[in-house]
Amino acid sequence: MDTELTRSSVMESNGAAKEPARNGDRSANRDPAETDCDALLSVHVSNGNGDLAAEPYAPEQARNADRAANGDPGATAGDALLSVPVSCSSAVCRIKKELTEVVFWKVQLWKIIIFILLVMVAVIMISLALCTVIHKDVDDEFDSSLFKFPRYFNGSFQMPNMVPTEDLYNLSSNESQNLTADLQKKLSDVYSSSNALGRYFSRAEITAFRNGSDVTDYRLMFVLPEEEKESIGKFIVCREIVYNVLRQFLYDQEDDGLEYIDPRTLTMFLQDV
Amino acid sequence: MASVRSIPTDVSTLCLLSFFPPSLAAEICQKFTDLNLGHSFIGTNVKVKLLLYTPENFTCGTLMSHANLTTQTRFNLSRPTIFIIHGYRPTGSPPAWVHLLTEVLLSRVDSNVIVVDWNYGAANLNYFKAVENTRKAAENLTGFIQMLKDSGVSLSSIHMIGISLGAHIAGFVGAKFNAAIGRITALDPAGPEFTGKPPEKRLDPSDAQFVDVLHTDIDALGFREPLGHIDFYANGGTDQPGCPKTIFSGISYLKCDHQRSVLLFSDSVNQKCPFRAFPCTSYKDFLDGSCLNCEQFGAAGCPLFGYDITEWKDVLLKLGQTKMYFTTNSQLPFCMTNYRVDVQIWNRDARWGYLTVKLHGNESEAVATIDHHASEFRSHRENMLFAQFDQHIENVKKVSVKFSTGNVFQPKRKLRVLQMRLTPLDHRERSQCRYDVVLEEDKEVTFRPIPCEEPKP
Repeated sequence: MDTELTRSSVMESNGAAKEPARNGDRSANRDPAETDCDALLSVHVSNGNGDLAAEPYAPEQARNADRAANGDPGATAGDALLSVPVSCSSAVCRIKKELTEVVFWKVQLWKIIIFILLVMVAVIMISLALCTVIHKDVDDEFDSSLFKFPRYFNGSFQMPNMVPTEDLYNLSSNESQNLTADLQKKLSDVYSSSNALGRYFSRAEITAFRNGSDVTDYRLMFVLPEEEKESIGKFIVCREIVYNVLRQFLYDQEDDGLEYIDPRTLTMFLQDV
Repeated sequence: MASVRSIPTDVSTLCLLSFFPPSLAAEICQKFTDLNLGHSFIGTNVKVKLLLYTPENFTCGTLMSHANLTTQTRFNLSRPTIFIIHGYRPTGSPPAWVHLLTEVLLSRVDSNVIVVDWNYGAANLNYFKAVENTRKAAENLTGFIQMLKDSGVSLSSIHMIGISLGAHIAGFVGAKFNAAIGRITALDPAGPEFTGKPPEKRLDPSDAQFVDVLHTDIDALGFREPLGHIDFYANGGTDQPGCPKTIFSGISYLKCDHQRSVLLFSDSVNQKCPFRAFPCTSYKDFLDGSCLNCEQFGAAGCPLFGYDITEWKDVLLKLGQTKMYFTTNSQLPFCMTNYRVDVQIWNRDARWGYLTVKLHGNESEAVATIDHHASEFRSHRENMLFAQFDQHIENVKKVSVKFSTGNVFQPKRKLRVLQMRLTPLDHRERSQCRYDVVLEEDKEVTFRPIPCEEPKP
């Protein structure tokens, strides 16, 4: 009986170490040696509750099994704490394992995820760049064939550097023709190159060199789109802007040429149609 | 005779007297009480010292007697008297600005400047104790002014300039004389322990004939609500430009905004740098340019912050209490130049963004960035902006304008300007215009402005 007992106790402890599944058997046939062993273990567990480094030698399964058998109330709390470092059941560890899994041909899962992310960023960047390139400014678009409604401005200016001759007042003379062409080109250039007025500008004419004075009369013609003639005529092709665009050009010119126009002499009126 | 005039306060002065001939002894100058952290730690009791400075000598202070005026030969009864009252001195050191303020005042005004040195009383680590001491300091000063009054000094010729706690001292003194004192100028009046208190426990407009107030630190050491007939809020009254933004800059983080009030007022005294201010209900509305109208002030226009606000005194008294706003630079000269910028555009869609405008003069260049929030530009209407330039350009030769939106991932926008009008608000100069300009985003466009077309009479 004695030998039987020791043998069984040795066997039991071996078994406990190796096969936790058998703990049900053990609790069924309790013997004194086993109780000693249990007591020892349970004491240890209660001392080292949560202290993970305290028992590196004791296989965890065995302890769990024994505690379960003893109905140790601290077992559940101890379990959660003790199981972390040893097994790979924690979330971080599991994710790590899953990420390094080979999906196909040596390519791990994490590489695929990073690749997908890069593709998304690239698509976003490319589409943004495309948008910028393709972007059309609605203000640059217009259809001049729709511009039909005419609008005229009349006015005068003086050229103080010009010495008036008899020929000048004769509109068919060479001198008069040349000067007219020069001035018309000057006015046309001003309005054609204007950002706001250029698209509506039609033509500029010199109508007269007033006899006996240095006053020159001119006429400007603009065409407006029929459906927007009210708002454009009020805010853009209005006397204030048409007048000041020319006035600004005259202020910018150098004060030396023969055809210098004094900006202070510039007048302009909207012609009623 | 001379030795009677200067009243020796301690043994060292007595020793000096014995070494110098009597005529020199008269020139022995009193210094502002210099205490240290030790005094402040133990706490100090109120001892008020009045130092007189006159245009004849800016730097030498004569100790004034509380008893009678007959011994004070430097004090001129026919001149106005300006009191400078400092505030809380947690370290006990003399205020760094006291000489600066005395000097600018004396070089401008033919006056008696009296520095009220209540460092004994203000130097206390316990702020609440210093607040209590303001009452005692005020009592002491009241006694002195009563003596001046009895000697024939007109109360309306008295101007008290109070800094922080000193502003409330001036208020307490003024209340004792039933608003007969000519003027109280409060420079960032103290907020803690005074905010929310009834008028008799703080400075209020009934303390003098005219009370003008400057707020520079309403979110910390200063007082948020209006306290005078006119209350100026420099840069909105909160964070002053050039002052540290974080506590890592040490002690200057705590006091920079508060102390700026004295520097701004000093800068206003010499008349070189006008601070044009605008009546408004909030700083945001002011920055939006909603408060540029000063018709209520008549021909004088918008009031100037500082010493010369008295020119608007009559109309301000009629208005009751007025809140005024202005902006400043981060360093001397602090004054900025205000312009109204009107922009007409012809874009179909509204544009949002910021404008940076530069004015080029003969040698100098002034910059204004209108970026307190993105401005909205719409066609068919005037888009009005308010620009503050860092300096005044006498003769504007060229103007540079940059439009930016701050958007990174969007196509570059264009602001298509029909007309841009720059109107100086501080100086009676003509508006400058430019027509038909396209401002591409983030590209600076420079042009020569032309005089705007004058409306037909």
